[in-house]
Amino acid sequence: MSACILRVFLQRAAVMRKAAQQTFSQTRMFPQCVTEINTHSRGINTFTSSLRAEEKVAIHFLNRDGKRISVKASIGDSLLDVVVNHDLDIDGFGACEGTLACSTCHLIFEEAVYKKLGPVSDEEMDMLDLAYGLTDTSRLGCQVCLRKELDGMILRVPDVISDARVDSEKESSTAPPKV
Amino acid sequence: MALQSSILHLARKNLLQESCKQFLLQAHGLHKSTASGSLEIAAHSQADLKEENLVSPAVEGLKETTVKTLQEMPGPSTFSNLVEFFYRDGFSRIHEIQTEHSQKYGKIFKSRFGPQLVVSIADRDLVAHVLRSEGATPQRGNMESWKEYRDMRGRSTGLISAEGDEWLKMRSVLRQLIMRPKDVSAFSPDVNDVVVDLVKRVKTLRSQQDDGQTVLNINDLFFNYAMEGVATILYETRLGCLENEIPKMSQEYIAALHLMFSSFKTTMYAGAIPKWLRPMIPKPWEEFCSSWDGLFKFSQIHVDKKLSDIKKKMNKGEEVKGGLLTHMLVTREMNLEEIYANMTEMLLAGVDTTSFTLSWSTYLLARHPTIQQEIFEEVDRVLGGRAPTGEDVAYLPLIRGLVKETLRLFPVLPGNGRVTQDDLIVGGYFIPKGTQLALCHYSTSMDEENFLRPGEFRPDRWIRKDASDRVDNFGSIPFGYGIRSCIGRRIAELEMHLALTQLLQKFHIEVSSQTTDVHAKTHGLLCPGAPINLRFVDRK
Ligand code: HEM
Ligand code: FES
Repeated sequence: MSACILRVFLQRAAVMRKAAQQTFSQTRMFPQCVTEINTHSRGINTFTSSLRAEEKVAIHFLNRDGKRISVKASIGDSLLDVVVNHDLDIDGFGACEGTLACSTCHLIFEEAVYKKLGPVSDEEMDMLDLAYGLTDTSRLGCQVCLRKELDGMILRVPDVISDARVDSEKESSTAPPKV
Repeated sequence: MALQSSILHLARKNLLQESCKQFLLQAHGLHKSTASGSLEIAAHSQADLKEENLVSPAVEGLKETTVKTLQEMPGPSTFSNLVEFFYRDGFSRIHEIQTEHSQKYGKIFKSRFGPQLVVSIADRDLVAHVLRSEGATPQRGNMESWKEYRDMRGRSTGLISAEGDEWLKMRSVLRQLIMRPKDVSAFSPDVNDVVVDLVKRVKTLRSQQDDGQTVLNINDLFFNYAMEGVATILYETRLGCLENEIPKMSQEYIAALHLMFSSFKTTMYAGAIPKWLRPMIPKPWEEFCSSWDGLFKFSQIHVDKKLSDIKKKMNKGEEVKGGLLTHMLVTREMNLEEIYANMTEMLLAGVDTTSFTLSWSTYLLARHPTIQQEIFEEVDRVLGGRAPTGEDVAYLPLIRGLVKETLRLFPVLPGNGRVTQDDLIVGGYFIPKGTQLALCHYSTSMDEENFLRPGEFRPDRWIRKDASDRVDNFGSIPFGYGIRSCIGRRIAELEMHLALTQLLQKFHIEVSSQTTDVHAKTHGLLCPGAPINLRFVDRK
């Protein structure tokens, strides 16, 4: 009897984990917003399989090149989930997979929308301070979760720094001979 | 102003926007330093330096060859560097030398350590620039000696020593477990148990002194606290480091850790001494290996014990529940050797760093009674006598400010390294792929362009008026920034926030008459140059 329970548990853990891992390989991260439910279980999210609601909202990204990308995304997802799940072409976005170590998921909102996004944690503010091109209505995409009220919002992807990396084109015209 | 706009104009035309932006920023700095009028000599030499920079692009910017080569980069000669480091024991003053050199040679300069060329960057914006341009798998420095030991013993690399895809694979697993503030905050009950023992230990130790209030060499105590704290989270086990009698196994580990630390210099040479010389100078390499043996052995014992516990439970048909290690052992996203290696390296990285910071924090509190009182009042207002949880920390901005300000004044890693993964242009210099960079965090955090009156201890400089108030910047990034930044950051913060809060609730912290000014010295890490002795007086 007890052996049974054990097997069930482990199997479940394995299965759940597998589900999570699939999410992981698909999305490169666990859904940030869903994990909150589990924060008191000693910090480990073994049960991160999808609890996503079916409901969707429309979001419009203004990308760096000025192009507009519109998607329908699930309520409960973070904006990082959205970028990853829809495979949006935003270079370098979400490098730390939503773990608040990078600020590459920086997004800029309209003032009215910004106010609806909810409180900002200290850790997010600290990382935001290190974001390039910071504005008063900036947030980190991995910390913003979709809600119904946000339907139709427009958000802007800020410019990246003019990259320090020397690309081949520039190299030919500007780089001195190698030292 | 005219100068600025002409530069701006140039910048548009110029392909090298970033280097020009840099000049702009420096021009900005120039205004500040002349306006402040303080420290005439320093301001003067800085101004000289900037003028030079300002002029050159204006003249040369028209041609398209403003990028300078490494050869043109200023820096101390190889010989003077040798004297500085080996003869005048510069290793223990690396943090000061950073600042001296950046004042003398500018905020980007090169030095040679034997065959190794190092480009030092002591400017906030240039540091930001380098870290923001990082690719998928940044590299900190040459880890050959670490790798060699691991190959020799058939061990895996851990996060610190691994590179490339191997590193990324492990990092992706671990960051999902110990980097999200919310996840880590769930460990606060476990950490609070350790804090209870810390407080008890303070009482025991002070009772052993004549005045009944002094704890000698506070870092020993915080070392044991940090070790106990990180082990609680990583190994889900208590080591007994805060007991009167420390268990033998933990003692052995501490000895290995001390050996690793005390032989830091020798181990640094262990990597630098060419292999063929080892038979003649065997000691550094031998010590290096034997301390690693000790460290690996310890984590292996703990990991194996947990594994056998899990197996036992499974055989008995019990539910397997647990924390970090259990999770890793059950899910096996990393293999067993990788788990050993990461547990070893995380424990190594997590003890001295946290304990030095706690030592400095309490020292600074003791030296600044008014500030201590302000922070105490905040804690008292928010918590009363109740023990804090991870969530409470959000309402204790001064406790957070205290830790940030301590790490600004005493960044445990006074400098960090990066090996460039692409050709870069930084500060107007072309830096080829594969160059070792030194990011001078100590200099930038003591730079008055970044922090007003940088020498002053002011935790409140980190307080925000509201969510849109920006106070932080790249001048002080004690845990690094980006995908290769400190993976233990949130764990360390939790340990420090909870310990400092409770210590303040229980004690009034004072400097012992046996302790005068304590200066920092570099020993791999920035550590107290003399024992810090503090008095812990009960609060009524
Ligand atoms: C006050 C405490 C601490 C400070 C100031 C600190 C600082 C740092 C810094 C500056 C780095 C280099 C980051 C970079 O290269 O960008 C680092 C790396 C690292 N730290 Fe910490 N650390 C602290 C505590 C801890 C703790 C408690 C742990 C263990 C849980 C830890 C584990 C590590 C590891 C494993 C790395 C290497 C990460 C990688 O290469 O992916 N640190 N730390
Ligand atoms: S993805 Fe790194 S902070 Fe959001």
